[in-house]
This record gives sequence, C-alpha cells and structure tokens, in this order.
Amino acid sequence: MSAAPAPLVDGAKKNYLLALREAIFEEMESNPNMLCLGEDIGILGGAFGVTDGLQLRYGRDRVIDMPISEAAIVGVGCGMALNGKTVMAEMQFIDFISCGFDQIVNMTATFHYRTAGDVNINMVIRGPAGGYGGGALYHSQMNEAWFCHSPGLKVVCPSTPKDAKGLMKSALRDGNPVIFYEIKELYRRRDLEEFVPEGEDALIPLGKARIAREGESITIVTYGQNVHHCLEAAKKLDAEGFSAEVIDLRSLVPLDEETILESLKKTSRLLVVNEAPMTCGFAGEVLARMSQNAFELLDAPPARITRMDTPVPWVKPLELHVLPSVDDILQAALRICRY
Amino acid sequence: MEQYVAKSPSSESSKMSSDPAAPDLQPRSALTPDDRKELLKQLYLARYFDVRLIKEKKRGRLRGTLYSSHNQEAIIVGSLFGLKGTDWISPIHRDMPAFFMKDMRAGWRNPDRIGMSVQEVCAQVWGKATSPGRARDNWSHIGSRAKRIICSTSMLAGTIPAAAGVVYADRLDGGDAVCLTFNGEGSTAQGVFHEAVNFAAVRKLPVVTIIENNQWAYGTPVRDSLPEGLESFAGRAAGYGIPGYIADGQDVLDVYDKVMTAVNRARSGEGSSIVECISFRAYGHGDHDDDRAARYRREFYGDRWEEVIAEERERDPIAVMKRHLVGLGEMTAEEAKLMPAEGKSAMEVNDLDFPEDVVKYLNEGVEFAVASPPPPAEEGSMWVFKEGGR
Ligand SMILES: Cc1ncc(C[n+]2csc(CCOP(=O)(O)OP(=O)(O)O)c2C)c(N)n1
Ligand SMILES: [Mg+2]
Repeated sequence: MSAAPAPLVDGAKKNYLLALREAIFEEMESNPNMLCLGEDIGILGGAFGVTDGLQLRYGRDRVIDMPISEAAIVGVGCGMALNGKTVMAEMQFIDFISCGFDQIVNMTATFHYRTAGDVNINMVIRGPAGGYGGGALYHSQMNEAWFCHSPGLKVVCPSTPKDAKGLMKSALRDGNPVIFYEIKELYRRRDLEEFVPEGEDALIPLGKARIAREGESITIVTYGQNVHHCLEAAKKLDAEGFSAEVIDLRSLVPLDEETILESLKKTSRLLVVNEAPMTCGFAGEVLARMSQNAFELLDAPPARITRMDTPVPWVKPLELHVLPSVDDILQAALRICRY
Repeated sequence: MEQYVAKSPSSESSKMSSDPAAPDLQPRSALTPDDRKELLKQLYLARYFDVRLIKEKKRGRLRGTLYSSHNQEAIIVGSLFGLKGTDWISPIHRDMPAFFMKDMRAGWRNPDRIGMSVQEVCAQVWGKATSPGRARDNWSHIGSRAKRIICSTSMLAGTIPAAAGVVYADRLDGGDAVCLTFNGEGSTAQGVFHEAVNFAAVRKLPVVTIIENNQWAYGTPVRDSLPEGLESFAGRAAGYGIPGYIADGQDVLDVYDKVMTAVNRARSGEGSSIVECISFRAYGHGDHDDDRAARYRREFYGDRWEEVIAEERERDPIAVMKRHLVGLGEMTAEEAKLMPAEGKSAMEVNDLDFPEDVVKYLNEGVEFAVASPPPPAEEGSMWVFKEGGR
C-alpha cells in the first residue's frame, strides 16, 4: 500500500469538515479495531471528502466501498460491531438513512436490550444533513426525530468544528449506536474555522450542551445550523435591549436538561428552534420537558420555531418560506421578551 | 427458462438473433430508413440537451446538480423509441432527456403526445413555475399521471415498486401498458430493487427493468458491486425466473432490439424482464464531480486509462449509428462526417455540430423557461395534503 498524504493533525485552523475528518483519522489510527463503511468513501474519499485519503492509508479491508444499500451498510456494520469492532457507517446524505431504517431502529438500536447487556453496538452512523442549501426534498432533511423516538440510539448534532471533532471521537468510543448529524452547509464555512485540539484533549462528552452565548433576557435552545441563525437573531435582540442566552444542545439523546434549567433560572423565558418539521419534532420535546419541569420558572409562555409541516422544496423562495429564518426567531423572541 | 445473457456486448453471443429459442428477435427489422434517420436525430437531440445544459450551468444560469447522460443517449433513445404513448416510464437522474423524448414519434411538437414538452422540461431545470412539478423538487424529480411518467424520489431503485403497482392497476382497468424503469447498475444493490423485481416476476407484470451499466456508481466501480463469477447484472434475472437481456448500450439499434423484445413479451402477458445496457459514464458522476472523477478514474484504470477514453470516443452512440447508416447505404461516408458532435466533450462542440432543427427545438424550450416566472414562495407549503377527499 502506498503512503497516504499526511492526513493527521497538523495544528492548522480547521473547518467543520476537516475537523470531522481529523477525528475519524485519529480514531482509525489509535483503534486498530475500527472499520469504516459507506458508499464511495474509499476510492472517491466520500461525496464531500470527509474520508479523503482514508482508504489509501488504512486499506480496502478497513475502509470499505459498499454497494448502494443503506440497509446493508448499517446491518453489516451492526454485525461487525456485535463481533467486537468499532464501526463508522456513512450515509452519503442523511436523507437516505430511511433506506436502512429497520436495520437501525429494530436491529441495531435494541441489541443491548435484547441480549440483556451481552452485546453492545459501538457504531456511529453519520451523514450530511440539513436544509438552506437548495438540496430539495431528499438532500435537505433533518430526520433526527425518527431516531430520538427509537430507544437505544444516541443522537448528536454539532454546530462548530471543535464540537464536530470532539463529539465524533466520543461517539466512536461510546459503546452505543449513535446517529450523527453533520450539517453540510457548515462543512466549509470559513467564518467557523478554528483551532481544534488533538487526541484526548479533543474529546467532548455526549449529553452535554454548550452555552453558545450568554444572556439574561431569554433562553434560546437549538442545535445544528439553527445555532448560527439564533446567534444572529441574538445580536439583533441586543439592539432591541434584550440579551439572549443561546444553548447549543449538541446531543439530543441524551438531553442535557440541567443546562437548560440553569439558564431558565436566570432568564425565565424560553424559545426552542429546530429546522425539522414541527409536529413531533425535537423542539416539542424540549418544550414538553420544560413545561413539566420548569413551569414555575417561566414568566412567559414558551414557544418553538420550526420548519412548517412540509417537505423541503427546491427553489430558493419556497425553501426559505418553509424553513425558520433569523427574522422568525427574532420576532418570536421579541414576543416572548415583551410578554 | 430462456436466458439471453452474454459476457460482453461485443461478444457474438450477445446477439440474440443467434439464439434460435428467442422469440421475435429483431424488432429492428421493422424499422424504416426514416425511423433510423429519426433515431440518429434523437441521439443528437439528447446530446445537445446535455451539452446545452452543461454550458448553461458553467455560465452560472442553473442551480442543482447536472448528471450528464453524455455517451449514454442510446439507452434513452433506443428504449423509448418503440413505446406506445400509453406506456409508462420512470427515468432516473441520468435520463433527463427521457422526459421530453417519451412518445416523440407522435411528433416532436405534437401537443397531444403523451410525454412532456421540451418547454416543460426546461422550465423544470430552470426552476420555474411552468414546470410540471412547479420546481418543488429538483431536476429529474418530475412526473405526471396524464403523461404516464412516475415522479421519482432520490432514493435509488425507489420507483420499481410503483412501476409494478402502476401496471397492475392498468391491467385491472383493461389497459395494455408496459412500464419501463430505468436504474443505474449501482442501484441494483438496493433491497427494494430485489423486492420489486421479485413481485413483478411473481405476478408476471409488464415491467421492464432497464439497468444502465455505465461501469461506475459515483466513485464506485462495478468491481465493488458485482460478485466475481457473475458476469453481468442481467445474469441475476435467472434468480427471479425472468429473462435478462444484455444490450450494447452504445448501439441504439441493439438497445431498441432488446428493450422491444422485453416490451413485446411484457405486453403479451408473459411477464417482466431485465435489460442491461452496457455503456460508460463519460464524465463525473455529476458536474460537481468532473475533476475528481478524472483523477480517481485515471488512478483506477492506470495504464489502461488512455485506451478506455479512446474506445469510449470511438463508441460514441452517434458515431455507432452513423456507421450503421453508412453500412446500410442510407448515408454516405461524406455525409457521416457532417455535424461531428460525436467523440467530443460538451466544451469541444458548438451549435454547428448539431442538426439545425435540434438546436431550434431546444432553443424553444430554453426561451420558454427563461421567460417563465419562478413559483411564488407560498407554494412551498401547498399540496401537502389533498383536500376534498378522493
Ligand atoms: C438510497 C440512495 N442511496 C444513495 C444515493 C446517493 N447516490 C446518488 S446517485 C448514486 C450512484 C448511482 O450509481 P448508479 O446506480 O450506477 O447510477 P449512475 O449514476 O451511474 O447512472 C448514489 C450513491 C441515493 N440517491 N439514494
Ligand atoms: Mg452507474
């Protein structure tokens, strides 16, 4: 096998995509039991290049170009994991995860439960997700609610390069199946580039939210691409005399209720934002839990901003019509702050 | 069970005429010189559509990914040429011209033909409200019950079950429609491919499953999707108890022969078949992949790469059809040199390399699309549910 182009940590600032790539390389390097499966991840290096150079370095036995079958990618990965391997399974777009649905929610998610703890599936199923990019119905989805609703799966969605790397590394060591939502519109965003720590220092625990911005007037809970929309809205709120605290959940399952509660003690106002459709979406879950656990803390009815209950259409004006905008967030936050 | 499976399209055994057991073996024998001229014209049209879109995209006038059908036009043209207007099709990402080439023999501009107009298809590509899907989903994701085109999703092989359902319903209504489903060779790995082909076989449904084997599924070569020892995707047909035909996907007449044999068989109630068309993807998977594809394919083929490219240019479907016409005495060698679009990349050709009426026809589509309005934003939340009941 020929030597790979230097893939490992080089200390330079990283965008979201390169941070993920670095996490996978580091874990492959330090864990000889780790395998990667996916469509076009080897010869091509992945549709977006997350696995660029991986097969060259680790060979065709550990980095497997799979036939186009998400069910096989997940199911085979599950088998490898049940027999002791660490598995990274790539969905070329997270939208296609539906083609492997049964293997995920019935086979993989429940293995530990069914075997009374005998077997655990150490597998990360990751893929590019999210709208706002003109990807249309099948290259824009945020379908995390399906998996949050399937016990046995952890669900993660980072919004910065540091978190992307740290959560990926932790997910690959978690011992459970983790569905990992990568936001493709963030992959190459220049303004998010940052230095990411190396090796063990990079680890970020699952189930721990991040305060993306501190504030006093309102708590805005969100994740993924909407974190950046909420930060923008928060700036505009400043101009209106309200300071927003923006919480980036990072992990949906398990959910860090503690951090939200702490924030509500300070702000007493809650807005939840996600780009998935409203009905049975994760924003609703956060609202429900906070209504139940923090009712007495609240000074205003909590609210959510989500996509309309529609698919994500292709053409820009239609797409923006159904997805949450910075202005939608701003207006909702103002209503809550002025209540 | 009759099997017409060969090793490669160039080998003699792939010519079904050499198989005495085969039924109506050469549907092409019924084609007239005018039909053959029309076939060549349609190859030019499909090529020009692709070339034109590539150029428009490069000028920044189009959004979305362009999955070129360059070098694979004979599959589209040869498959559609013998269909009835009332037949159904479900094209995939690489078959964009199929939407306006369906039922084209009824007249390119015939408003009653049961296929989309080039105006409608261009409007879709340009993302305009005059597209059949009002540009709600992108590119090839358009369909119409009236035009008998199944609207696909991105999920590969996802329309084959619907194809079976459509013709099942048509049979109950007393129709004789056949449904052609188009699929890449890579997509045959999907479970739903098997599940649907099996059902169609069990119920002898008139579904013809076309496999466009262009040797690559994005960055994955056939080596990684076909087991050693199985020489073709069509070879899997035996397992379903249906015929699997192999066509030379560069030769529009061979595609026509094999698809029509399958279609005739399906229409007469004998059931479904698989037709694998052997071809080669000329460029990247999509236009975003052109540069990388040049690299990974050069690496993959190594020393053979120049040879592969030369052979592909030599076997351009337009060139192959011209050779047929010259051989049949329907075109002189001098005439064959005119309009030399074959063997050239989109950027190497210009309008003069194509028949005038082809360019004119497409211009009508482009002009219509450009002049059409985009859909209003509010449409994004319309048509989630049908109102008013059945
Ligand atoms: C279920 C599903 N998985 C993955 C993809 C992503 N994808 C789009 S096209 C493609 C390759 C298709 O190859 P092939 O079937 O050979 O058709 P070709 O593009 O070569 O014509 C892939 C993997 C998809 N669209 N649907
Ligand atoms: Mg292919």
